[in-house]
Amino acid sequence: MTDRSAAVRGISLADAWRSFRTAIRLGWAIEANWSDPFLFAVYTMAKPLSAAMILVVMYSIITGGQAGKFLQFLIVGAALWNVVYGVLAGLVQSILEDRERYRMMKYVVVTPSSLFPFLLGRSLARVGVSLVAVVLTLAVGVLFLGVELRLNLLLLVPASVLGLVAVMGLGIFMAGWCLQLRQEAWSYPEAIAGAMYLVSGAIFPVNVLPAVVQPIAWAMPTTWWLEASRRGLVGHGSPGDIGALSDGTVMLLLLASTVVVVPLALAAFAWFMRAARHKGLLDMTTGS
Amino acid sequence: MSEVGIARTPREAADWSRGRVVRANLRAVAGRAYPRIIGLTREPSWLFFEILLPFLAVSAFVFVYRALGAPEEFVGFVVLGGAMTAFWLNVVWMMAAQFYWEKDQGNLELYFTAPMHLMSILAGMAIGGLVMTSSRALAVIVIGSLVYGVSYQIAEPLLLAGVFLLTMIPLYGLGMLFASLFLLWGREAFHLAQLLQEPIYFLGGVNFPIRHLGAVSALVVATLPLAVGLDAMRQLVFPGQASEGVLPVATEMLILAVMGVIFLVGARLALRYLETLARREGRLTLRWQ
Repeated sequence: MTDRSAAVRGISLADAWRSFRTAIRLGWAIEANWSDPFLFAVYTMAKPLSAAMILVVMYSIITGGQAGKFLQFLIVGAALWNVVYGVLAGLVQSILEDRERYRMMKYVVVTPSSLFPFLLGRSLARVGVSLVAVVLTLAVGVLFLGVELRLNLLLLVPASVLGLVAVMGLGIFMAGWCLQLRQEAWSYPEAIAGAMYLVSGAIFPVNVLPAVVQPIAWAMPTTWWLEASRRGLVGHGSPGDIGALSDGTVMLLLLASTVVVVPLALAAFAWFMRAARHKGLLDMTTGS
Repeated sequence: MSEVGIARTPREAADWSRGRVVRANLRAVAGRAYPRIIGLTREPSWLFFEILLPFLAVSAFVFVYRALGAPEEFVGFVVLGGAMTAFWLNVVWMMAAQFYWEKDQGNLELYFTAPMHLMSILAGMAIGGLVMTSSRALAVIVIGSLVYGVSYQIAEPLLLAGVFLLTMIPLYGLGMLFASLFLLWGREAFHLAQLLQEPIYFLGGVNFPIRHLGAVSALVVATLPLAVGLDAMRQLVFPGQASEGVLPVATEMLILAVMGVIFLVGARLALRYLETLARREGRLTLRWQ
């Protein structure tokens, strides 16, 4: 007989922490340990550096190679964007891989432990790789391309924390949404990250966008995270209207957009999970 | 048949007439091309994503050039590069990585046991992929040109068509070669496919003329069909100083032709090796390897 008054294993904070740690190890094994270490290192370095170098060459063709604030703007934006893509792709692909490829999602969901710590832990390897890409891109910028770091930790640290929380919120929303999709769920993170790349002022000032799109840019937490991080890293923000705002206003807008996005994303994820259980989508395979 | 009377391949075992071999291989080409062509109408969501994703990338680079105050032909370079990117993505994900996916889905062993040549399967994939991707590339060019107001000055449309077709042969030949190599490298397929994106966009000059890469551009022209084809097409579509190529168009066409032969022969040799390995070791068709 089960003692009904005893705590159910799997729902305490300690159990959640254990799920989280186990999921981190699993995510890392899938992401890296099964690969050739040399290839994995090359892949980790070459992809973000090439993405940044495309922008550097474009810049140098047009400006004749003069180092300037716009080049710093480009490099910092290209570097930090790795985090957005890493978080979105990490969360979405973790949930899809576990459902479609490894077919473990249903087993994880039926344990008493919440899916949430597992999902966060499972995606952390990709987030870690993306953070390495940020450091590498910035290092190349500083060492070879004339990027001058003027660190303002009072701005950078809270901006990084808030930005990461906001981006994870968006990733959790996407992960829940992709569980509902029957077709092309794998393409959504890239499509959404691509659209956000366009409207967040990552590699060009928001002013260049068509007027109808600019309000979306102003509403995105990623726009304010990038802006605050630029100011915290190189001491200046974007060219254009956003760059003219005070540091306090930028941080306030980052905080406000994060406070709106995160609870909405968590509520949406809970709703998506309920819908997935109800419709039997947790063990669905689309063959895509 | 071999000396001991045991066929080494299903083709030997079939012991068909030459006519039947040709017909079976042509049917394999058509059969493998069919799902990709018919998929154009059956999977509208593919169409959406495969046009949207390159278009988003194109838009980002167009806005960078606009923010930098670049001459308008650079916007055209980006749009043309974005269209050609669709072919490269098709080659990487739907040619190079395809055998690996087929293995995961359990189809690969059927290919190895069927009495047709694996080159026919790859040719079918290439033809189907080319048709499918052409529609997407055309959509990127039309939408990009309309939205960003790109104008083209094509004085020799037939030569341009020739360069395009000549680019596709080594491009898909490279995909065929990679299909065997990806399978040999096993679990790295996903990482390899990722590795062949941004670094190739950079080295291939997808968003800028490759002569700006300096000494590296010579190496790129000698090895990467996407880069050579794009450089030649830019010279024909946007004549002017900005699109000055690494080499004259005629020389680049010759390079593409040589590349086509090398990659197709390489693909055939790699497939032969792969087939031998698959039969001898029996591991290549195992999932998760």
